[in-house]
Formats: sequence, C-alpha cells, structure tokens
Amino acid sequence: MFEWLHPALIYLAAALLVPLVPNRKARAFLILLVPIVGIIPLLTTPFGDYLQLSLFGETLTTFRFDKLSFVFSLVFSLAAFLSLIYAWHVRDTMQQVAALLYSGSAMGAVLAGDLITLFVWWEGTAIASVFLIWARRTEGSYQTGMRYLIIQITSGVVLLAGAAIHYRETGSLAFEAFSLENVGAWFILLSFGIKCAFPLLHNWLQDSYPSATVTGTVILSAFTTKIAIYSLARGYAGTDFLIVIGATMALFPIFFAVIENDLRRVLAYSMNSQLGFMVVGIGVGTDLAINGTVAHAFSSVLYKALLFMSVGAVLFRTGTAKGSELGGLYKTMPLTMVFCVIGAASISAFPLFSGFVSKSMILSAAAQEGHFVTWAILLFASAAVLHHSGIKIPYFAFYGRDSGKRPAEAPRNMLLAMGLTAFLCIAIGVWPNALYSVLPFDVSYNPYSTTHVITQIQLLFFSAIAFAALIRMGLFPRQVRSVILDTDWIYRKLLPAIISFVVLFVSAVWSEIVRGFNNTITAVQNTLANFYGPEGRVARVQPTGYMVLWLAILLGAALIVNLVGLP
Amino acid sequence: MAKKKNNKAVGSNSIIVRSMSWVEDRKKVDKFFWGMLAVGVVLTLLDLFYTKKVYFQAENFFGFYSLYGFVLCAALVLAVKAMRVILMRSEAYYAAQDVASEDHPEFDLDRKQADV
Amino acid sequence: MEPITALLATMVLPLLAFVLCLLTPNRHNIRDGGTFIIAVLLFGCVLNVLYHFNNETPVAYEAVTFQAGLSIAFSVEPLGMVFALVASSLWIATHVYGIGYMRGNKEQKHARFFACFAFAIFATMGIAFSANLLTLFLFYELLTISTYPLVAHKENDAAKKGARTYLGILMGTSIAFLLTAVVWTYAIAGNLDFKLGGLFEPTLSPMFTAVLLAFFAFGIGKAALMPFHRWLPAAMVAPTPVSALLHAVAVVKAGVFSMLKVGVYVFGIDNLSSTGASDWLMWLAAFSILAASFVAMAQDNLKRRLAYSTVGQLSYITLGVALATSMGVIGGGLHIVTHAFGKITLFMCAGAIYVATHKTNISEMRGLGRAMPFTFIAFGIGSLSIIGLPPFAGSWSKWMLLVAAADTQQIIIIGVLLLSSILNVAYLVPIFARGFFSPASGTGSKALNANVPWREKIAEAPLLVVVPPCITALGCIVLFFYADVIVEFIAPIATVPSVETTNG
Repeated sequence: MFEWLHPALIYLAAALLVPLVPNRKARAFLILLVPIVGIIPLLTTPFGDYLQLSLFGETLTTFRFDKLSFVFSLVFSLAAFLSLIYAWHVRDTMQQVAALLYSGSAMGAVLAGDLITLFVWWEGTAIASVFLIWARRTEGSYQTGMRYLIIQITSGVVLLAGAAIHYRETGSLAFEAFSLENVGAWFILLSFGIKCAFPLLHNWLQDSYPSATVTGTVILSAFTTKIAIYSLARGYAGTDFLIVIGATMALFPIFFAVIENDLRRVLAYSMNSQLGFMVVGIGVGTDLAINGTVAHAFSSVLYKALLFMSVGAVLFRTGTAKGSELGGLYKTMPLTMVFCVIGAASISAFPLFSGFVSKSMILSAAAQEGHFVTWAILLFASAAVLHHSGIKIPYFAFYGRDSGKRPAEAPRNMLLAMGLTAFLCIAIGVWPNALYSVLPFDVSYNPYSTTHVITQIQLLFFSAIAFAALIRMGLFPRQVRSVILDTDWIYRKLLPAIISFVVLFVSAVWSEIVRGFNNTITAVQNTLANFYGPEGRVARVQPTGYMVLWLAILLGAALIVNLVGLP
Repeated sequence: MAKKKNNKAVGSNSIIVRSMSWVEDRKKVDKFFWGMLAVGVVLTLLDLFYTKKVYFQAENFFGFYSLYGFVLCAALVLAVKAMRVILMRSEAYYAAQDVASEDHPEFDLDRKQADV
Repeated sequence: MEPITALLATMVLPLLAFVLCLLTPNRHNIRDGGTFIIAVLLFGCVLNVLYHFNNETPVAYEAVTFQAGLSIAFSVEPLGMVFALVASSLWIATHVYGIGYMRGNKEQKHARFFACFAFAIFATMGIAFSANLLTLFLFYELLTISTYPLVAHKENDAAKKGARTYLGILMGTSIAFLLTAVVWTYAIAGNLDFKLGGLFEPTLSPMFTAVLLAFFAFGIGKAALMPFHRWLPAAMVAPTPVSALLHAVAVVKAGVFSMLKVGVYVFGIDNLSSTGASDWLMWLAAFSILAASFVAMAQDNLKRRLAYSTVGQLSYITLGVALATSMGVIGGGLHIVTHAFGKITLFMCAGAIYVATHKTNISEMRGLGRAMPFTFIAFGIGSLSIIGLPPFAGSWSKWMLLVAAADTQQIIIIGVLLLSSILNVAYLVPIFARGFFSPASGTGSKALNANVPWREKIAEAPLLVVVPPCITALGCIVLFFYADVIVEFIAPIATVPSVETTNG
C-alpha cells in the first residue's frame, strides 16, 4: 500500500520541515511523530524490490525489502523513537535536524538494494552524524569530529572504489553476497570493516562517542555500527576469517574498558566487544549464526541505548561521566540506577534479559561448528562483560566511593525513554519468540534449556564474585582521571608529525622549484635584454608586451605563409 | 510548594533507596559478600543434579563455568593493572583542549541538586 | 530562431555587452541592467542551440577559410554544448554577484571591469563552439588577453605582479607549446578539424604520439597541469567575481575543455589507449592532484587555498582524458560541470566574506558562520560537492573516474582518488566547521552573546552577493539528481562510430 513511500524520505522530509517550525513544542512533537509515521511503510509493505531508478544505464533498487532489511529497519525505527523521546528537551534545531537526517540515512542504507544507493546513504550517515559531535561546540569536540568525519568518509570512498572495481569485474552493482576472489570485494570489506570498528580500525568509535552531546551519543550508538553489521551479514556471511577478526574484536576492547575512566568511553569499548560477537556470527555463517547475529544486533541496539541513556542522564545532571568523579548517586537518582542495572543485566546476558536470548545463539552456533578457541574467547568475553559494563558502570556511577554529589533525578522525558527501553529489554528476554519470529531464517532455538540457564548463571556469578573479591582486596584498578593510549596514538601523535613534515617538505621543495623556474625565466629575460642591448628597439618593450607582439608576428607570419601558398 | 513536590518525588522512590541502604553498612556488605560466595557454591553443586548438554569435552569438567568465570576474570583485572602502567597518560596528553580534559559545556546540561 | 543564427548570437551577444559597457562608463544602472539582460538572452540562445542540437546533423558555420583544412569555423558538439551551458548560466549568477561585489566593495572602474568580463565570455563561447584547432587557439588567446586587465584590476603592485605571472605563463606556454603542436598537427594530418576518433592515422608511433600529447598538455596552460599551474594562485589578486567565474569556470574550464577536445577529437581515445601514449600524463595528473592538495592544506589565505584546490580538481579532468577510456572522458566532461558549480559557490562565498568583514585568512574566520549562516551553509554545500559526497553533484564525476580507473586496472590511481577525497575533506571542511562550531576569533563578538536573538546576530554581505552562491549551491544539489541527463548527453563523444575506426 505504501511501497511508493521510502521510509528514509519521511525522515528527510521532516528534517527539511523541522527548522521551519517556530514553536519549540510543536517542533519536538513533529520530530517524535517521524519514527511513528516512518514505521507505517515497513509494516504494510510486502517483501520485494521497490522504487527502482535508472542511473548511467544501470538499475538501482532504492527500496529492497526483505527479512534481513526488515529487522534492521524495525529496530532502527524503535531506536530513533526512543532516543528522540530522550532528546525531547533539546532546543538546538541543528541537533534535531542532524538526528533525523542520521536515522533516515541509516534506514536508507539497510534498505538499499545496490552499491550506489548504499554509498549514498553510507556517506549520509557520516555527514549527518558528525554534527551530533560538533554540536558540543568545544575545541575538543571539533577536533574529534574532524577525525571522525575523515575516517567515516574514508570508509565511504573505499566503498565507492570497491563498488567501481566490483562493477567492472562482475558487471553488476547489486548488493548481494560477495566473492572474495574479486578485488572489489576486498575494498568493500575494508569499508564495512572501518564502519564496524574492526580491530585496528576501531578507534573512531571510542574517540567520538564520548565526545558528542548528552543526547547525541545515544543517537550515535544505535546506527553506524549496526549498518556495518547488516552489510557484513548481507555480503560476507560465512567468510571464515571473520571468525578470527570477530573473536579478536570481542576480546581486546575488554582490557581497555576495564581501565578506562570515562564511562561513555567504557560503553564504547564494550559496544566494540559486543560487535565482535556479531562478527563471529557472520563468520560462522550458518542459519543459526546469522539469526544470532541479527538477534544480538537487535537487542544490543536497545540495551546499549539504555546504558548510554542512563550514563547520559548522570552526565546531564552532574556535568561529568567520569568514574573517578562519580559514586553514591543511587540515593538521588534511584530510577536512573534501576534502568542502568536493567541495561547492565541485559548486556551481561542474565537470564530473562535480552542479551541472554541473543548472545547464546552466537555461542551455540560457534560451538556447533566446532570453533573451540573462538567459543572459549566468547565465553571469556561474556564473563568479563561484568567487569567493564555489567557491574562496573552501575558500581562506579551509583555506588562505590560516595562522591558527595546529590543530583536530582533525570527529567521525565529521559525517564520515560529509559523506562520504555528497559521494558523492551526485559520483554525480549522473557518472550524471546517474538524476536525470533522476525529473524531472517526459520530456526527453532530454545535459550532456556536447563544447562544453558545454570551454566550462564554460574559463569556470571563467579565473575561477579571475582569483582567483589578484588574490590574488597583493593586490587581492582581505581578510576583515575587519565587517557588510555590506543591506536588513536598513531593518527593523533604519529601521523600529524608525518603529515606536517610532508606538507613542509612539499612546500619547501615546491618553492625551490618555482624559484628555480622563475630564476630561469629571469635569466632568459636578462640574456635577451643583453642580446638586444640597452639601445635596441625591442629592449624598450616590456617582457609581457613582447609576448603579445610575438603572438601577432607569429600569427601574421602564418597568415602570410598561407596567402603566399595559395594557388 | 516546589519543595513539597520534590519531597514527594523522593518519597515515591524511597523504597528503592531504602532497600539499597545496606550498602552503606560495612558489616552488611561483608555479609552480602559471603552470602554471594555461598550461593555460588550451591550453584556449582547444582552440576551434580542434571545432565549437561555439552558441545566440548572441557565443559564436562566439574564446575567448569564457575572456575572459568572466576579465574579468567581475576586474571583479566590483574593483567590490565599491568597494562595501565604502560598506556595511561594524563588527560591533556593529546592536546591542551581535548575532549578528555575539557568540561562538558553547560548549555548541554541541566544540573540540579536534589533536596535531601 | 535558426540554429545557425542562435549559434552566432551566442558570440555576438557578449560582444554587444562589451560595447555597451564601454559606451556607458558612468551610467552604472543602465550598464549593469543591460548586461544582465544580455546575459539572460545569451543563456536563452545557448538553450536554443541545445534545442536544435542533434548528433546526426550538427550545426556548423564556417566564418573564414584560408585554405583547405585551415579555417575559422564553429560547430556544435556535446562537450562544447555542455561547456557553453555552464559558462552562460553561471555568467548570469556571477554578473549579479559582480554588481553586488563591485558596489559593496567600492571598487573602481566598473565599466572596464564589466567590458572585459563580457569579452571573456565572448572568447569562452568561441572556444566552446570552435570546430577546429585554429579557432580554438585563437579564442584561447583572446581569453587570455581579455582577462589580463581583470587580474590587474586593482592596479597596485601586487595586482600587476600577479597579472604579469598570469600573462607570462599562459601566453608563454600557449605560444611555445600549443602553437607548435597545432602547426605540427597540421603538418601531419593536413587539416585541423575536430573529428571523433582523432585526426591521425593509427599507424602513428606511440613515442611520437606521446611527445605531441606533451606539447598539447603543457601548451594548454589553462588546464593548470603542474608545473605550469603558478598563474592560477597568482591570478587570485583579481576581484572575487573574476576568480569565481573565470578562474573557477571559464578560463580553467577552457583549459581542461581543450584538453578533452584534444584527447577525443585530435588523438582519439582509442588511439591513446592502444598506444599507451597518455600513460605519463596519467601519472603527472595523479601527482598534480595530490601535490596540489598538500599545498592547499598549507595555505591560510582562503582564495589561495581554493586556487590550489582548483589545480587539483582540474587534474581530475586531465586524468579522465589520460585514462583514455570512455568512462574517463565522460567523467571528465561531467566533472567540468560539477566542479564549476561547486567551485564558483566557494569563491562567491569567499567574496561574500570579504565584502562583509574584509577577512581573507581562514584562521580569522572562526565562528564567523554564526554571523553569516547562509554564506557558510552555501560554502559547506560547495565543499561537500567538491569532495564528492552525496547528495551533491561532485559524487558522480568521482564515481565515473573511479570506474574508469577500474577499467584500466589502475589500482594506484584509485588510491590517488581516494586519498585526494580525504585530503579535500581535511582542507575544505574545517573552514565551515570552524565557522559554525568554534568560538569567534574576534573579541566582543555579537554572535557569542547568547542573549542576542539570532536575527540580530546575522551580519551577512549585501543580498546581491549572498543570493548567487546560495543559488549555485542549490545547483550542486539539483545536478546530483540530473547528472544522468548530462551523462547521456555527452556519452556519444566516447563511442566512436564503427565506420570511422575501420576506415583507418
């Protein structure tokens, strides 16, 4: 019925409309309406390819609607709706427009049926989202935004280059599963990898998410990396080495997350680790694994949003999100604390919470295919999640050493957004079949087997005991104001040094060349001047003047030659 | 009037706050810790009463999950303590005006004190 | 109107404007208004030529014939059509902008300025519709000469010095190399008429082709191929309308347009690709792209930074020719259009900033965006288009060049294009991002005060200066959706009729 209506266009149209609405309340209301209207075409349109365009002789499918794109567009609608409730109080129109453009672009990307359309939305998310970082309007966020933008745009242009090569190799622009025998597919994989925060390509994530505004971070957390997960699942399912990449990705951010002080950056690290689970699922590539990846992406969008919301609320009321500056907030922000704990339980995959029903699918799939080491790493990552998010975030923010801060409870719109998200996290955990029914493949999976429930509780409980014991013994690293060096050192310290050297070098060499060139010209001019002598007629003409004269003489000569040559 | 409203807000949440007040008491926290340990032991013993469905041999090892969770997590924390020595820098390490070192701008915040 | 009449009118009209400007040195409104009407009429005429255009029976007119194969003649072909459309449509915008700029900035000698401007447009039309190398060469030189007074307009030492460099390099290269190349071509081929698939026999040796191509490539100094690019930054002493239309559109595009013409109609892209004669040009263009970007990053003067950016972007088009594939040539042709709209926007914004604040250095423009939001938003759109990001026109020409590079399997060239995009981000985006998101560099700025309502914070340049860049910025968006039309239009130049190739 509404297949002519591309959901992304609703967001874009609203983004154009919003700045024209003068009344603040009306504007906020209009914005909140967008995800609700945007979900209508998703719920009413049967699966199929719609809105096909022709460009440069190729057919582009801008609205490819199938099971995989449906799940992602559905969760994006949800995330947009929840984070826009959370951002109800924001007065900055620029942020509102950016949020709409960003979520609309993300929607467009998961519905893109070809590489060109994908590229357009891919860059769209990059450009729109950077404004959520710049909206903080400080020197630090400007610099972070530039780094973020450059990396995101690099991902986009690499995608474009990959698409061009792929197009010439296969003659097709369709966005389907890729074969890594083609060079183009490697470029495209690199592009997805940047956006998915593969190890060593990951640092934009931890750099940018703590640098956005309070609400900006919540919106940022939902889309960019999940588009990459979607794209990988679509293009590279069953690619073996993704298992290795995913396992590395699930493992190493844990170490950084435990010592990091800025809680929003801690969450960025733990998100990176969760993405690793999904990448493993894509690498395993069985029906169960892909289902697990999609389910985990779905639930992680929600619980990650919830965690970012609760930390954001703390930041909103206290002015800081640093573990070293917080503590004891449960006394005055009890509801925020409860929601935070629900998010923490979800990410830690406690039974009856959303992470439990999705994460275990990936572990089971990896185990079924006999990937022992990978399985062991994922199991470790599942246990350690308590140490960097599950317990650490609630503990250092709401308990721990009393900071003496007595902030008021979060505003009502934030509480409402957190409440709804928390409800969804629990609902998915309690009624997993609702989530399973929208997954791309039909696989019967029961997360609540006796073995699974008991072993998971054992694992988490002893991880928690380790945490408590280390805290008691004073061995758990205290939170201190600091930065932890990561790969960003390479492009924040090393590369600037190299680039400024190159720029200096090129400019210096260039000015030398130019000087040499000018000297040569001067020398030629001097020679000519000497040749004609100071009393010569030609010498009185300016150098530029006799250029023109030369032209006239040459043209005249050519004319005469031609006239003489006429029969 | 405003004060009354605030009191009411705190009052409605006070169940949560009161149910949490034990964390202030060192002895109760101690009790809680030992309680946790006891529950953990019981959980581990549960392994004796059902047949584990396993993918790998290692899982059949008694108390595998409990041990795995405890040992590796403790090792993790000790490892990062060492890591911190190498990788930790001051907040202004990258730049004087950096996200890590600057304050979050006030226009984006709404600081409010609760009346307690 | 008869097609031939329309074709000739495209050249007569700017000359009329030229005469009008000379006759009315002091009646500003009559002169500016009359020229505006002529500019609109010119655009109408070009549209008329377009309306009558078809590939089977091209409109052609021979003005003077010296001897067989040597004449001054005009004809209409897709590339020239596109170039004429771009130049004539943007002349309207620039003329309006020029009025606002010259008046707002209290510049002197309006009549001379607008007269030379009209004459430059005349020369541009001649280049666009030239049917052979001789005609192209003549109008090319006329364009150089007519823009010399514009560059030297301020008549101070800096302007004179810049103008000398300008004339010296453009004249010097064109006479030393281009004229030689033209004469040489005539000696070998016996005529100079542009012909799809090339003038030469395919038996020409690759070495010789490469050398002749070098004479052309360096002779066309307006294409600003390194190392003959110095005139372009030097020309930035000119008033900004000149930089906008001439040094972002007419003059430099005349250069790369000639480059495309030479590649397609003199050598033939099939010849170039089969002999590999243009390989060296490809590498030089790639070097030019990167080196110019690096130099641009180091510039603090806004117009100089934009000038170096132009040097790099022009090399995209040269690269398109040098790749010698159909996609490359079409991409190059498309880039003429997309870059024109993007760059003219950037220059007009630079001028608007200058008129409003007299600032020329990027480091002084922090926080300025809050006072001049329209200018800075237009600047942002222009920048993103130049970088090649959707939904702006520049993304398509970059796509086609990437496909062309993929066709020739030049992974390194693909890498160069990628790196160039990233460098473009690094030197263009900070200008408007800092404009909006950094505290103002001046103290006591009204824009910083939160209590002042936003309408009072705005201190834009006069309307005549602000509206044109906004319109061209909109053009960048519109072209994104209509790039397909342009590509279909210029596509015939990339497919040589099979009869022609079997003849040789």
